Amino acid sequence: MIIENILAAFVELGTIKTFILMMVGVAGGLIAGAIPGFTIAMAVVLTLPFTFGMPAPQGLATMVSVLVGGLSGGLMAGILTGIPGTPSSVATTFDGFPMARRGEPGLALGIGVWSSFSGGIISAILLVTLAPQLARIGLEFNPWDYFMLVMFALTITASLAGENMVKGLIAGAMGLLIRTVGEDEAIGMARFNFGSDTLLQGFDFIAVLIGLFAFSQLLRDVRDPVAARKSLTDKGTIYVRIEHRRAVREVLKRWTIVVRSSLIGVFTGILPGAGGSIANILAYDQAKKASKHPEKFGTGIADGIIAPESSNNAVEGGALIMMMALGIPGDVTTAVMLGALLIHDVIPSPTFIAEEPLIAYSIFISFFLATFMMLGLQSFMLRVFVLVTRIRMYVLAGVILGFCGIGVFAINNIEFDIWTLVWFGILGFLMRHFGFPLAPMILGVVLGNIAELNLARAMAITTDISPFFTRPWSLFFFTIAIFSAVFPLFQGHRGKKKWTLFYLPVACFAVSVPLYMMGGVTRPILATIVLAYGAYTLWRRAQGGWQLEAVKRHDLVEE
Amino acid sequence: MDRLNRDAIIAIVLLVFCGVFFWATFDIRQPDYGVLMPSTWPRAILGILTFLSVIYLVQSLRQGADETELEDTACEPGIRGWVLYWRNPLWCFGLFFVYLATLPVLGMLIGGVSFVFVLLNVLGGWDRKNLVLHAAVALLAIGGMWSLFTFGLGVLLPPGMILGQF
Repeated sequence: MIIENILAAFVELGTIKTFILMMVGVAGGLIAGAIPGFTIAMAVVLTLPFTFGMPAPQGLATMVSVLVGGLSGGLMAGILTGIPGTPSSVATTFDGFPMARRGEPGLALGIGVWSSFSGGIISAILLVTLAPQLARIGLEFNPWDYFMLVMFALTITASLAGENMVKGLIAGAMGLLIRTVGEDEAIGMARFNFGSDTLLQGFDFIAVLIGLFAFSQLLRDVRDPVAARKSLTDKGTIYVRIEHRRAVREVLKRWTIVVRSSLIGVFTGILPGAGGSIANILAYDQAKKASKHPEKFGTGIADGIIAPESSNNAVEGGALIMMMALGIPGDVTTAVMLGALLIHDVIPSPTFIAEEPLIAYSIFISFFLATFMMLGLQSFMLRVFVLVTRIRMYVLAGVILGFCGIGVFAINNIEFDIWTLVWFGILGFLMRHFGFPLAPMILGVVLGNIAELNLARAMAITTDISPFFTRPWSLFFFTIAIFSAVFPLFQGHRGKKKWTLFYLPVACFAVSVPLYMMGGVTRPILATIVLAYGAYTLWRRAQGGWQLEAVKRHDLVEE
Repeated sequence: MDRLNRDAIIAIVLLVFCGVFFWATFDIRQPDYGVLMPSTWPRAILGILTFLSVIYLVQSLRQGADETELEDTACEPGIRGWVLYWRNPLWCFGLFFVYLATLPVLGMLIGGVSFVFVLLNVLGGWDRKNLVLHAAVALLAIGGMWSLFTFGLGVLLPPGMILGQF
């Protein structure tokens, strides 16, 4: 069955037109990722209007290609100029730039490219194997569980989004509220249209996304008149030749770092809201901790390039696993992918892979193909990158603002969508300025109707609200939502307050309860392991006389 | 404006916003069927949003006034200083509004090219060399995109009153 689906997807994608579109997508992604100030999410969002007229597998393959290209593009700017192209390549600059300055830019780029490739392939393999399994678990979910899963996704996104969790939660709630404008999902009654017929249809999701993300980012990029008139990059070594053979040898010698960092990337991607910007720092930190010579990190060693680049490419595989198996986007880029699926009348849910195998496997296969294309195109795009760096930021921003107008109009052929774009552009700009994270808001907009529909379904079955807290999966998501909400507080007080000593053991005890309730064989065993670990941690702390642990502070700062 | 005042004002604006929207939930028609009323979910969200806004207000009142953002310190005091500091985004918004308002007349091609041309000159300077370059960029970029959508993807973009006559 899997082989049949893979073959069918290959046949669907195996046209010259699709290959050309994917190549253009990877190339565009590589350039977008390489430009400091432009994000991968922005590139994927701007690609969306071009895919409306395409069949779903072709359109999604193009978007996946932009995504894969974007993930690898950041390393070019990071290694050659010291300015990370995207937040996911921040840690790459720690060792990539020093290596390039030492006179080995070709080797640094080669290691980056091959690490990205390895991370991408590992995560693609996990995507194909894990997504259907997770979807099978998702079939156990009832409306109560689904509702709680959405609440968990919003809570964890808010807690990971920034230093001020309240702002993150406000942004998430605003996102949910935006989605309620127009006719309600369950019975079609008008809400918050203030007498306007146009508002009855609600705000178009894509126009909201482009406004919030792309429009507001472009305005920030041109805020400083002097910086806006400068070329994107003026410094750094630019003319280089990628040293593939030497790079492959270096990467193969450090295969354990590749595997570990890729797994960190996939796991981070599965968590809603935690994207490449977290994964690359986390993987770098782990590589440093595990190294026999941690003092060499930051001086231009291969380990310091391999770890972040393997992990940031693996992140999207993890995010796609969550999106395809459960319909919950792992980050903003997968939220856009989910929007693309909705445009093609496909609603991601646990039954998605079983009911739409062609589309699902097209995404899997295009992820693989795009990773190979990225490898081939990187050398060529390096030359284009040199040309792009000469363009002044205001030219790029002005042209893209013009594109935004055309692209958004093309969604539904109505002018109102362009007004939506500009209003949400203003909102996004203000939110960024006042320190509100945008990711929870985007997830709120995407998941708002899913939450409401499941709440309505749950209420239609019984008006009793206790199943939200007594069903095993609901309780599981509720528990981890609570602990993820408290996590920023725990991080802030770790090593300073006594109660932080109990955080991990109590979390383990609490999570084991719903796992026991789920029954079967595997889950109670897992619950016992979690419980035992919690008890062991508590025992060790009691043995240590409840002394506060010294928290190791690392000199890693995420931009 | 320092952070203390700014955050407190945002929190108050949010509370007013919640109040207005909560009031608007009473205009939502309540049908005789269905268990979850159409106003229940928005009210639940507004309840949470109000609660969070109150926490945000309390937090901002507790914070010190010295936590001003670096970005704001670069802005000169007074309205003139504020406008000067934010002039580029203000130009972008203003020109985009003009572009939208004139869309029924100019259409997407003429309007889009004009918008990008004027915006590039405003942001990059009006000298003679730039004028030619900006005109070429606007024409090629928007003209190319318009052609791609019109002829390649078959999307009917607004022709406007001028091009609509042909």
